[in-house]
Amino acid sequence: MTLTTTPNEERGTQMRAPARRRSTLRIWKKRLMPWLFISPFIILFMVFTLFPLLFSIYLSFQEWNPVAGLSSMEYVGLYNYQLALTDPWLWKSLYNTVWLAVVSGIPQHLLAIPVAYMLVSAVRGRLRHLYTATMFIPFITSTVAVALIFFSIYSTNAGILNQWLLALSNLPVLSWFFSWVQDAMPIRWLTSSDLLKPSIAMVVIWKYTGFNIVVYSAGFLTVSRDLYDAAKVDGCSRWQQFWHVALPMIRPFIFFAVTLTIIGNLQLFEEPYVLTQGESGGVAQSGLTASYYLYLVGWQWLEMGAAAAISWILFLFIAIATGVHFYFNGRKGLGEDR
Amino acid sequence: MAGVELLNLSKSFGSVEVLKSLNLTIQDGEFVALVGPSGCGKSTLLRIIAGLEEETAGEVYIGGEYVNDLSPKERNIAMVFQSYALYPHMSVEENMGFNLRISGISKPDIKARVQETAEILDLVHLLDRKPSQLSGGQRQRVAMGRALVRNPDVFLFDEPLSNLDAKLRVQMREEIKRLHQRVRTTKIYVTHDQIEAMTLADRVVILNQGIIQQVGTPRELYQNPANAFVAGFIGSPAMNFLPATLTSDGTSSRIELEDGSILVADKRANQPSDGKILLGMRPEHLHLSAEKDEHSLKGRVDLIEPTGAQNHLRVTLAGKSTTVVDNSLTEVELGEFVNLKIDPDNLHLFSQ
Repeated sequence: MTLTTTPNEERGTQMRAPARRRSTLRIWKKRLMPWLFISPFIILFMVFTLFPLLFSIYLSFQEWNPVAGLSSMEYVGLYNYQLALTDPWLWKSLYNTVWLAVVSGIPQHLLAIPVAYMLVSAVRGRLRHLYTATMFIPFITSTVAVALIFFSIYSTNAGILNQWLLALSNLPVLSWFFSWVQDAMPIRWLTSSDLLKPSIAMVVIWKYTGFNIVVYSAGFLTVSRDLYDAAKVDGCSRWQQFWHVALPMIRPFIFFAVTLTIIGNLQLFEEPYVLTQGESGGVAQSGLTASYYLYLVGWQWLEMGAAAAISWILFLFIAIATGVHFYFNGRKGLGEDR
Repeated sequence: MAGVELLNLSKSFGSVEVLKSLNLTIQDGEFVALVGPSGCGKSTLLRIIAGLEEETAGEVYIGGEYVNDLSPKERNIAMVFQSYALYPHMSVEENMGFNLRISGISKPDIKARVQETAEILDLVHLLDRKPSQLSGGQRQRVAMGRALVRNPDVFLFDEPLSNLDAKLRVQMREEIKRLHQRVRTTKIYVTHDQIEAMTLADRVVILNQGIIQQVGTPRELYQNPANAFVAGFIGSPAMNFLPATLTSDGTSSRIELEDGSILVADKRANQPSDGKILLGMRPEHLHLSAEKDEHSLKGRVDLIEPTGAQNHLRVTLAGKSTTVVDNSLTEVELGEFVNLKIDPDNLHLFSQ
């Protein structure tokens, strides 16, 4: 059997060809359009995130002083990692980081949860927003400004903290409780290796508790009023309502806030840097955190290769800490037990 | 078990008066339904009885005891919520035993009582599950189990079937009825569904705008509604109302509709000074009739809705659209004029 085309069919084919071209063009346009829209993000991500990330991996195997130019880069293998892991300052900075993460992290949540619960359950409408906003202000204030204010609060001779403690120790009722103050004066909050870390921790607690209050307030607001009513009918006191109903209900919020605290506190830099005036982590490096040390190695000692290696060690450290947190709390924290 | 008494109970939210000086006595072991449209104050009333809401004025007695100052727990009531209000982080067993745990009852006792209640409600195989792993009906049964396990004096139900689909609602209604036959504790049941109220309750309280309109058995409310609101609220399809003028003599009453047609009621009705009334006729009491007499009205068929067992007809009577339930399944045409006969005993007259 042979197929023959009639003139009409030929004309039809000729007419269909441009139509097919138009349809192919339309398909390509449809395929490319989404990429075009997200291309600004992709370009920025590649330039400012992906490239530095890959470059820092490359750099961690090089010895490089940036002042001497790119040509001074020299491949050293795992030397930077070996050097970092045998460096006592790195271990000290990691210890300080963990100490500060725990001491400044836990109180943030122990304070924020009950405060948020009281705000949501006892304070209504605009007043609650006002309180929440006030407590949120430290979080949005520049860390440098905050640290500078605390620098003056902690000042040995003229600082308001020491002045207050002295005043309290002179009050008739409280004097027995503050009797130690007179002997301890002048208290060197920022120049004593024992007090530096607690002083930094206080600033961190003050700065980030407000943020957690906002997170937990949002969490408590999601708990249905019916559940509280059911708890009241079941005979729960206010404390039992909080402990047995409200607290388990905000587990995903606790998980989220604690995750942010772990990641944030293990990268602590600005507070210790400003409070120690950038002087190698303060007295006996007691305020030196891992990020702070990373900065010193990279930008003060200009050993970019070592700094890159330390940054990857710190990343691994944070990833393990977060992984442990996810392993132990993830199921309940993400609400998978419900 | 205990009865409930409300004396001059009022509740206001700011300037809005939700309940207006209510008086109600509920006998020990009685099943009472509070019915009314949205916003009539029925849920607020239930929450006041539960102790979850504070009354503005008035007194609440449970089992003869003045309970205004008592907490929900001290009132020994149990409540089933519309949203079930099960604790999502606890298993069914923990949910049911929670109030016993809070009361300090020993673990073996809690387990035994939860097991016993779970058997009554057929929940034994679900005890280890979390509420999210249950269907709507199962959650509802757990909510009832949680209430039942503590052996309360009064059960309070706040629209417990509203979140269920129509089929499950009927099924759960039967279960609640059976539960009441088995556990004859005083029950107060809030619903906006008059069918639910009529089928479940020994007595129904009709509320509107914070005022009790009528209290009575389902039959009393259906047969002798106290006012047009109750008459329109009870019964499905709803009662038809036609404005009319009433004139009564010594033995009978004449009802004249707006189009001039006349109906004769055998009994003598109280005549308002201006004679203006609302004539109420239930759709199921209007029957298609071949002849026109003093107990029938003529109207035009506008719509026919066959439901299988009966036809619902929309008929224009005296210029108003009315519903007729025709059980005889008579063949009628759209636009056809028909005679609708009603027994004079089934006429309801209300002042306008």
